[in-house]
Amino acid sequence: MSARLLRRASLRVARAAAVLFTVALGAAALPRLMPGSPALAALGPGATPEQVAAYNDRVGMDENVLAALWQWLTDAVHGDLGRSLLNDVPVATELGDRIPVTLELFLTAQIVALAVAVPVALRSAWKPGGVFDRVATTGAFVVTAAPGFVLGLLLIYVAAVQMRVLPATGWVRFTDDPVENLRHLVLPALTLGLTEAAVFTRTLRVQLMDTLDQPYIAAARGRGMSTRRLLTRRALRPSSLPLVTLVGLGIGTSLGGSVLVETLFAVPGIGSLVATAIAGRDFPVLRAVIVVSAAGVVAATLAVDLLYRRLDPRIADARR
Amino acid sequence: MSDTPVSVPSGSAASVPDPSGLVVVAARPAVARARRRPPVGVLVAAGWLLVVLLTALILPLLPGCDPLRGDFTHPSAAPGPGHWFGTDANGRDLLYRTAAGARASFAVAALTVAVGLLVGGALGVAAGWFGGWTDRVIGFAADLLMSVPTLILVMIVVSLRGPGLPLIGCLIGAFTVPAFMRISRASVLSLTERGFVQAARMIGTSPLRILRREIVPHMAPVAVTFAFTATTIAIVAEGALSFLGFSLPPPAPTWGGIIAEGRTTLGSAPWISMVPATVLCLTVLAFNYLGEHLRSGAPTARTESTR
Repeated sequence: MSARLLRRASLRVARAAAVLFTVALGAAALPRLMPGSPALAALGPGATPEQVAAYNDRVGMDENVLAALWQWLTDAVHGDLGRSLLNDVPVATELGDRIPVTLELFLTAQIVALAVAVPVALRSAWKPGGVFDRVATTGAFVVTAAPGFVLGLLLIYVAAVQMRVLPATGWVRFTDDPVENLRHLVLPALTLGLTEAAVFTRTLRVQLMDTLDQPYIAAARGRGMSTRRLLTRRALRPSSLPLVTLVGLGIGTSLGGSVLVETLFAVPGIGSLVATAIAGRDFPVLRAVIVVSAAGVVAATLAVDLLYRRLDPRIADARR
Repeated sequence: MSDTPVSVPSGSAASVPDPSGLVVVAARPAVARARRRPPVGVLVAAGWLLVVLLTALILPLLPGCDPLRGDFTHPSAAPGPGHWFGTDANGRDLLYRTAAGARASFAVAALTVAVGLLVGGALGVAAGWFGGWTDRVIGFAADLLMSVPTLILVMIVVSLRGPGLPLIGCLIGAFTVPAFMRISRASVLSLTERGFVQAARMIGTSPLRILRREIVPHMAPVAVTFAFTATTIAIVAEGALSFLGFSLPPPAPTWGGIIAEGRTTLGSAPWISMVPATVLCLTVLAFNYLGEHLRSGAPTARTESTR
């Protein structure tokens, strides 16, 4: 049994490593997607051969792709991700500065999403078809139709332009001024969180309705368990599996979302770094961001799989 | 999520032979009645999409409806008699601009669905039918595509190769391929276990014919249902790209582009952003609604292998 588990775990890790390696290979080949010579495009037609060679060296275009990739990977393991072409700052330093900002935004958004979705879904699923359920379902349906940048713009319009209670854009670090940090956090976190809350609510509601049909729920109800305990203790945990997947997969898609939201609200996180890097053809930064984010997705997928087994021990037996 | 098998014809259970020899006809179930006449919501959603589509097709062809021409006597005019949806900061009519922007969104959406459905569907059928190494290689490719940040990669490629609707449509389509692939793979897997496919196999039907006559027609409803979701993904993604300035360059009207232009005047002329934003949201809502309606009627693919 345990040998089989070990075998499967190592297969999964090997597969994840293969995915990561291929992503890194693709990211290294990005400059080659550009028609013509990226070096001449960046340096201008008057560039000397030495300058072109130096540029090609920095974006990893001088040798064959595999050798450049190997060099980059060994450097990356030692914490050296190259330097930005735009401002010459080490990419690792830049990422270290910006990841906490994006992470703060992402985690707050997840808390907002769960804080809205769990109670709403519990109440909805308890009386499917009731007034509350219909209002909540319709609301979630409408919110899912609004893309992040529209929802964010609407929030800016209401909270910043009309009511003038919150800043529309900008960022203050938590270490500089915690209160201002929170004030600047509200709108972008709500933008990300509300969209996710709608998806979470819909998923959890369906799953809860399914769980509440199970015989053991009827048995617990028959023994006189209170509604509240029944919902939170018995129904929520088995119903939360798809939610775990959603949160896990959200880590992957959040980077795309953070480009939009961070650009819209002028938040100095990974998303706005990517936006500047794309506009400035900053290949070392793009390459690092793509590989790091793919690593995040791969790690999250593995973590979701492990958590599944913790939350529902039956899976380990069922999926041999 | 209904789990009804495909083969049960609705209404066959309506008549039950009575022991006395009479045939008792049970009341027609509510579902069947609802299916005869589509509910109001479906009519409204389909009607809205038809209006947007026709406006997008016809309006930019009419004389005097140029989305690029500015009416300099009425810059930033509020919606009113002269300009139904108002004008932007350059006096350009927002109705004409939004209609022209719909063309870009629909073109990208159509291309996305075509690429996703054809490529994803074909790969999914191949993975499900052949299994083994074919399945493993295709699965690995899907894993790969799903591990990269989609929007960012599209932005990078567009910025390197130059903007254009065909490129954007194909790129977004490529990223819907894994989802289409998984859906069709799952349906093929469940269909090959079904009696009529086994029977066709047993009487010696060629695999190609089984695929064409038995598998593809039965998985089509599920794939087409997801095509509605893919359409909204494409519209939202195109909106996001043009909002960030990675779709058609400025004078060309796109929904996201107009929304972005209105950002700076949100206080004085909110309609510039709100008109295209409302149309975008209503269109996505309509597609979602129709997709949901189809899903509740169509048989759902068994999703146990999508984890």
